[in-house]
Amino acid sequence: MKRGLLLAGLLTLFLGAPALAHFQMLYTPESALERGGAMTLKLIFTHPFDAGHTMDMAPVEEFYVVQQRGEEAEPQKIDLMEYLTEISWASLTNSGKAYEANLPAKVVRSMGDYVFVLVPGPYYEAADEEYIQQFTKMIVNVGGVPGNWHQPLGLPAEIVPLDKPYANWTGGIFRGVVMAEGKPVPHAELEVEYLNHAPNMEKNAFEKEAAIEAPHPSLEVLGIRANARGEFAIGLPKAGWWGIAALGVGPEDEHEGKGLAQEALLWIQVTDMP
Amino acid sequence: MKKFFVLALAFGFLALSGQSFAHTPLFSCFDNGDGTIFCEGGFSDGSSAAGVPIIVKNGSGKEIYRGELSRNSDIEFDKPEGEYSVTFDGGEGHDIVIPGSQIFE
Repeated sequence: MKRGLLLAGLLTLFLGAPALAHFQMLYTPESALERGGAMTLKLIFTHPFDAGHTMDMAPVEEFYVVQQRGEEAEPQKIDLMEYLTEISWASLTNSGKAYEANLPAKVVRSMGDYVFVLVPGPYYEAADEEYIQQFTKMIVNVGGVPGNWHQPLGLPAEIVPLDKPYANWTGGIFRGVVMAEGKPVPHAELEVEYLNHAPNMEKNAFEKEAAIEAPHPSLEVLGIRANARGEFAIGLPKAGWWGIAALGVGPEDEHEGKGLAQEALLWIQVTDMP
Repeated sequence: MKKFFVLALAFGFLALSGQSFAHTPLFSCFDNGDGTIFCEGGFSDGSSAAGVPIIVKNGSGKEIYRGELSRNSDIEFDKPEGEYSVTFDGGEGHDIVIPGSQIFE
């Protein structure tokens, strides 16, 4: 009898647990910088709302930045692979293989937009028996001169911003277009998640304290759909970083004999009005 | 020669606080660390600052160099001895002056 109750209790807990989404983080504390300089980025494959299980990242396939100062300037692509070092990142439940990029001042020196792109190798999710690969973008601006923040880069899967990802007030909205191989993806499925535990850059760990508590699992990961033109809009109720993922929109669906979900991911930062 | 890009930026929009433009001029300068100064300009709407005059004055206010921003909206010139300032001459109400003391290696 007791065993039956215990099993029922565990089953309830299991079924009641939210299915939090995998998000490839490409993190730096501030995306709207007054001045350029040396910068550290953390590359972590994790569950950002609850700082849950952090996955061992597969080796990075591509990591670069496309910089542009002004709308009429030519974009400059800079490969950043040489600045990557492997680290261990601690979530609240485990530690996983991640990467750190220490960029010298010469990389992020001039004014303008810096569109950082990370293409990690496919990660095998044993529970789903398939691979996941998230084409991740994070955009930094130096000095307020805009550039290429809204330009598609032609990635296999990509979220193209319609608002500057680094210039959003709390309470505003953010819009974007889901694209695959340069074309909008009608009715794409998206997940939106708040980075709820502050990353500690020194300790390579999430802080234990959560910024908010969601009253319902559906509010921990927001599930939305793009419209027929691949466009979406989300509200921005709280300052901090928000991750937006478009699920399974990339062209490849198989890797090493298993299924492959190619996803597009974009990080945006929200700022409180002083 | 290997350039030593340790930076110091001075942002002109600070000098324009209180004024309102549809597009705000922005200007910054670095000391390259090799005896040269690099400056770049732009506007908050992303439009080009190519051709904007750049004037360098010594501590007495005397003009010692004049040039203009390139097609890429930047310029490089020899670092003056002693006190100096760099002016982005964007027209009436659009001037930005950066003192040399705020241009660091």
